[in-house]
Amino acid sequence: MMDKYTRLQVVGIYAAIFVFLLFMLLPFIEMFMTSLRPLSHLFRSPYTFWGSDFTFEAYSKMWTTVPLLGRYIVNSVYIAGMVTAITMVLVVPAAYAYARLDFPFKSASLSVFLGVNMFTGAVLLIPLYRVLRTLGLLNTYWAMIVPGVAFLIPTGIWLLRSYLEKIPRELEEAAYVDGASRIYTLRRVVLPLAVPGLIVVGVSVFIGAYAQQFLFAITFNQERAYQPLPAGLFEFIGYQSVNWNEMMAAALVGVLPVMVIFLFLQKYLVAGLTAGAVKE
Amino acid sequence: MATLDLQNISKSFGAAKVLQDISLAIQDKELVVFVGPSGCGKSTLLRIIAGLEEATTGQIVIDGADVSGAHPVDRGISMVFQSYALYPHLSVFENIAFPLRVQKMADAEMRKRVATAAEILQLTDKLPLKPGQLSGGQRQRVAIGRSIVRNPKVFLFDEPLSNLDAALRGDMRVELSQLHRELSATMVYVTHDQVEAMTMADRIVVLNKGKVEQFGPPMELYHHPATKFVAQFIGQPNMNLLSGTVKGVGPEGLAVEVTGGTVMTLPVEAGGTRAGDKVDVGIRPEDIGLGAGLRMNVNVLERLGGQSITYGLLADGARFCATLDGDAAVREGEAIDLTVDPADCHVFNANGDVLRRLKAPELTR
Repeated sequence: MMDKYTRLQVVGIYAAIFVFLLFMLLPFIEMFMTSLRPLSHLFRSPYTFWGSDFTFEAYSKMWTTVPLLGRYIVNSVYIAGMVTAITMVLVVPAAYAYARLDFPFKSASLSVFLGVNMFTGAVLLIPLYRVLRTLGLLNTYWAMIVPGVAFLIPTGIWLLRSYLEKIPRELEEAAYVDGASRIYTLRRVVLPLAVPGLIVVGVSVFIGAYAQQFLFAITFNQERAYQPLPAGLFEFIGYQSVNWNEMMAAALVGVLPVMVIFLFLQKYLVAGLTAGAVKE
Repeated sequence: MATLDLQNISKSFGAAKVLQDISLAIQDKELVVFVGPSGCGKSTLLRIIAGLEEATTGQIVIDGADVSGAHPVDRGISMVFQSYALYPHLSVFENIAFPLRVQKMADAEMRKRVATAAEILQLTDKLPLKPGQLSGGQRQRVAIGRSIVRNPKVFLFDEPLSNLDAALRGDMRVELSQLHRELSATMVYVTHDQVEAMTMADRIVVLNKGKVEQFGPPMELYHHPATKFVAQFIGQPNMNLLSGTVKGVGPEGLAVEVTGGTVMTLPVEAGGTRAGDKVDVGIRPEDIGLGAGLRMNVNVLERLGGQSITYGLLADGARFCATLDGDAAVREGEAIDLTVDPADCHVFNANGDVLRRLKAPELTR
């Protein structure tokens, strides 16, 4: 068997995993603890990890403090979902072309895509603002979707291209010899085999879209009804005080549906990776 | 009815000439095997016939029609790939039906054709399974099934058995020969295995460095190899080559002095050979018997049961191999005396071309 670690090594590995996870999860734990504390408790010194006055009150109060909260959560998922859908529609044929076809400036254009990735959205905010204004897209959902798609296409192409390249060329040659067109081959042979890759790319695009929408939302959109959750969380910052506990509660609740979807997808991801394996 | 003519096919990848001026006329219902060492261009030639690669120059003519620029389907060819190239996400039925689905064939007709193919290949009970659930041999049959449903004029096989283990390869060889008879179709088969070539082919094309060395029936290649390359490539173990010098030319053949001063009179056409020329004398291990003549020190002895193969060195240090009887009284480390009938010897001139044997056996087919 491959399991050749000694007991000491196993302990070491788990200790390392524990430290790593602690580092990643501690903010979430603190978020959760904050959401349970009454506001008066928040700034108490010395810091106490657990108090007898912890309640889930913030989770019900947040909906009245920020009445549009539900809408923001839906907006967030909607914007990220639309970005993912449009990106995938554009990335699949592009990645296939980069994986299989020969055309002028192929590697040059791929490098340009990589170069684009090195700019953060922040650098391009002002030019983007002018473009969107000219197109009349400011203060619509599209103001957040279009730049999102644009920034995620390069990563999508790079990720999916390397996956498509692993599909044996002979499968496509066999389809070609049997009279199938490129599109038919893509639809019936390549894409079904690329499902695990499509899920990986789709997930990473979705995460990217979810993370980047804050920047586009606060710059390109003034319409409250279209705001996604990260921008909506600002409403917990009042003139007098900041409702930290409710803000944390709202953030956790907002992320929850996405987390559930990913836990569910992860199962399929693993199943898909083994089922699609190509026998040599 | 399908003839396949290759006319002056050449192929270059940049400066590398992979195929040089290849012309072959393959007859209807013939099974022709392309054989050669790796890198000889045999797969490239097959891919050019299939339409997966374009020839740099030359024409491909099927049934009298030039199909050089045509799509594989319009050429009327189908191909079986080395890795089977089965679609892992589709059932065996869908794999076999794939070319028919592409044609948008009516459902009833499609089912009938797949059922017929499955019956020929004994796959009927495997139709609902996925390729991953099949054994290597069964997968190979599915790949063949996919190629026969379309009723192509010419079948192309690209090393179809090289992924199978030795025992299965033997079985599949027989099955493929039977299939060839049943379908009575024109087939082109690429392999690097000379046993497959010898056993299956009606005619063999031996390719070397992008050129045709010889094109003919298996036994002709065996008894009358045109070049030293063919002589060494066909036959197992490889033919022995002894360097020799021509001592005289007569009506009975050439008098050749080989290792250790032995002079043999070999019954071959002299061609332009004269006394003093250097030649190579080829002797097949299986033509050698025990008896006075050449003395060999046996280094390795392989007892195969029916045969004993001995490897060793002659007095002058030349490597030599002889196939003897299974029970031959031979031991490793001892010297033995070997003899060969001069009529069985092959003689090659300095260019590697053969001097035609005068007393070779009649060709059997």
